[in-house]
Amino acid sequence: MESTYSQLAWIIPLSPLIAFFILLSIGRQLKQYGGYLAVVASLISFIISVLIFIERTGSDMQNYTWNDWDWLSVDTISLSMGFEINNLNTLMLLIVSFVGLLVNLYSIGYMKDDERVNVYFSYIALFTFSMLGLVIAENIVQLYIFWELVGVCSFLLIGFWYFKPEAKAAAKKAFIVTRIGDVGLFIAILLLFWYMPNHSMSFSAISNAFIQNEIEPGITTLIAILIFVGAMGKSGQFPLHTWLPDAMEGPTPISALIHAATMVAAGVYLVARTFPIFESSATAMTVVAVVGAFTALFAATIGVAQNDIKRVLAYSTVSQLGYMMLALGVGALSAGMFHLFTHAFFKALLFLAAGSVIHAVHKQDMNEMGGLGVKMKITAWTFGIGALALSGIFPFAGFWSKDAILTEALNQNVGYFIVGLTAAFFTAFYMARLFFLVFAGKSRANHDANEPHSEPHESPAVMTIPLIILAVLAIGAGFVFTPFNPWFGEWLTGAAEEHTNWTVIILSNLVGILGIGLGYLMYLRGSIARDVISSRAPGLYRLIHNKYYMDELYQIIIVTPLKGLGFVLRFIDYYVIDGAVRLSASSALYVGRLGARMQNGQLQSYGLASLIGIVLLMIILVGRRFWNVG
Amino acid sequence: MNWLSNLIDNWLAFMSVGENVAFAILAVIMISSAVFMITFTRVVHMVISLALVFISLAGMYVLLEAEFVAFVQVLIYAGAISILMIFGIMMTRHDEEEQPKQPLFQALLLSGCVALFGIIFYVIQSTTFTPSTSSFDAGADNTKAIGELLYNQHVIPFELISVLLTVAFIGAIVLAKKEEG
Amino acid sequence: MDNILPSYLIMGAILFCIGLYGALSKKSAIVVLISVELMLNASNLNFIAFSKYGPAPSLTGQIFTLFNITIAAAEVAVGVAILIALFKNKGTSNVEEMDSMRY
Repeated sequence: MESTYSQLAWIIPLSPLIAFFILLSIGRQLKQYGGYLAVVASLISFIISVLIFIERTGSDMQNYTWNDWDWLSVDTISLSMGFEINNLNTLMLLIVSFVGLLVNLYSIGYMKDDERVNVYFSYIALFTFSMLGLVIAENIVQLYIFWELVGVCSFLLIGFWYFKPEAKAAAKKAFIVTRIGDVGLFIAILLLFWYMPNHSMSFSAISNAFIQNEIEPGITTLIAILIFVGAMGKSGQFPLHTWLPDAMEGPTPISALIHAATMVAAGVYLVARTFPIFESSATAMTVVAVVGAFTALFAATIGVAQNDIKRVLAYSTVSQLGYMMLALGVGALSAGMFHLFTHAFFKALLFLAAGSVIHAVHKQDMNEMGGLGVKMKITAWTFGIGALALSGIFPFAGFWSKDAILTEALNQNVGYFIVGLTAAFFTAFYMARLFFLVFAGKSRANHDANEPHSEPHESPAVMTIPLIILAVLAIGAGFVFTPFNPWFGEWLTGAAEEHTNWTVIILSNLVGILGIGLGYLMYLRGSIARDVISSRAPGLYRLIHNKYYMDELYQIIIVTPLKGLGFVLRFIDYYVIDGAVRLSASSALYVGRLGARMQNGQLQSYGLASLIGIVLLMIILVGRRFWNVG
Repeated sequence: MNWLSNLIDNWLAFMSVGENVAFAILAVIMISSAVFMITFTRVVHMVISLALVFISLAGMYVLLEAEFVAFVQVLIYAGAISILMIFGIMMTRHDEEEQPKQPLFQALLLSGCVALFGIIFYVIQSTTFTPSTSSFDAGADNTKAIGELLYNQHVIPFELISVLLTVAFIGAIVLAKKEEG
Repeated sequence: MDNILPSYLIMGAILFCIGLYGALSKKSAIVVLISVELMLNASNLNFIAFSKYGPAPSLTGQIFTLFNITIAAAEVAVGVAILIALFKNKGTSNVEEMDSMRY
């Protein structure tokens, strides 16, 4: 079958890029139409992605690669640019462009009162462009370029409301923390360049080299772990996860975009794309699995004790990313990508629904909400569907993907399975808590007479329609890869994975229902006191509520010594280096001043100077006779 | 006292020629009026002593068999240029007190001028001027000889100079009249 | 004492140095102009002296002096005109105040 549409894949990132440039140059004149432009651009991307997807589902498709553009050539080594279409990045294209489209659509409603709305849309367009470019990158250097672009865009968007100090801090934090990971990736790329036969950087060459074990094992492990460090930064794995919850300071649709489709998916995608490297190193796989499992549990427990609606969702993202990494670590590429796929839908749904709630009540603290289900029916229903999907309840999308991961984890190691199951329990519990606190019960908002938005109401259609679409997908997306229908896994990796395990299915459902039930009893019925833990073990509660003091730990371990070092360096810089610079500058200045004083405009002084000059010259010339020099 | 008697002998030998006596008188007039010109405080006095310098210079030109140049010197310098200077003085204000320059500047300038003179003096004294093989011929009629030279050999520079002079005078008029325009 | 040429040359040097001193020390622009004239005359004297007693005596020295006098006349005319224009603009003929071309 001819790869007709795959050849057009370059349009997919180009379309948002053009939108970005248009918005950048004439955004002011476009006024409210900027949003529609962004929607059209992402719609084009989405349509082509769908066409490629349909084309590739047809039959045995060959991967399409175009890399004729020699970007850099040194001697015999040449680095080309281009794009590659295979099943893995077709899936990513679909997710990214789809979520991008819905986020754009949703933002038209959500951001309509913001003055800089077209700047916002231009950032989103750039963000989408970067992520799409990252996905179809043909070699790892090209991927790295887009990888950094994604980082820059996340910085811009998280700090979009730059007048809020928290947003500024969060943007800086996101940028700096992910940069730590980026350094790892960068070193990995350098090592790859060094050790790869013929210095080839393309993914296909890398895969071949590692599958045929052409690289020595120690280096393989090192490269794999360094790549994973890069993925840890972007995908918010422990211990580089701290930026992700803080990224909530950005506009809510951005959170949806970052958490569901672009930024965090980049890390998982990177590991999946370079999976052959990981597969040829058992150590690296173990590291990935352990970090993933730990992050899943760790973040899930933090999520239990947060009060900010977006923060809970943020920690759930961290936790779910841990699941994906766990899946990749146990070698289940298709399960991991499947979870990425379903997670994109229900996490985007949850964030957009949360945004709808925030849009209605203008606050983010769950303790001040409650009873919103009556006033915001669509939001409540769709949020509920997303929550159930996240909790992994049959038959929602999250169930199938989480089940696939847990089955693979059980096959590998019981420890991973137990950790995953525990995390699933906490996930179900905090989602139930979130849902009941926000939508059920009575309103706990202390009504302020001066507040203009005292009565919450349903969001406009432009915001609810994306919610409904995503809700449908959160229910249905799971059916492409069930124990009875392994089509997705076959399509993605070319091999069917046997994973019908009734124990896992029953256990994971049971744990999910248990978590929801506990949340119901605690936060709706009140038969179990809410402060049952916080009163009995206040230390534990505080520990969890303060996110295991991770930020404070970083403050003490890294930030403070670095600040001290920075202070010392600044001192040296200011007094030694700058001092030298200032000395040379000021000496030049004073020489110049002296010269300027000579140029005093007094013609007679000039005349005197030239007279003295001539006399001296003559004395030297004539005086040679007396002194017998020369 | 040998050098002193030498000097007196030289002096007497110098003064024994009538032309030299005239030169000495003219030189004394010229130097003293030049020094007066520098030291006078009133500008008009300066111009008068300048005219004196010019006239004694014209006398020297006569001694040097340059009668026409001497005539021109009196006509243009002592006449026209001095009058022009006086007009310049009249058109500008000169009632402000002449403040001396900084002492350092004065000292440097004075020593510079003296040193320059010393060097020139030394150079002139140490040069031997070979007497010319052919004697100077000012022509039977100096004015006629100069006129013939001017209109034959030097006619192009002569015409150029006249153009330059015209341009300069037009320029001077334009400059001086600019403000009224 | 058969050659009187050095006496004329020294005479010119004296005139030149006095003129130089005046040109550089006086503040009145007119006096500066006068001093410059003095320096020009010193050079004229040298021309005439060389034209009679020089190694190759000829009338050309006198011709050149005539040109020199013409140039000096033009110079004085333009100089005085500039002086008057400056005086009209700035109200002064003090060369120390004519320093608008400084840094």
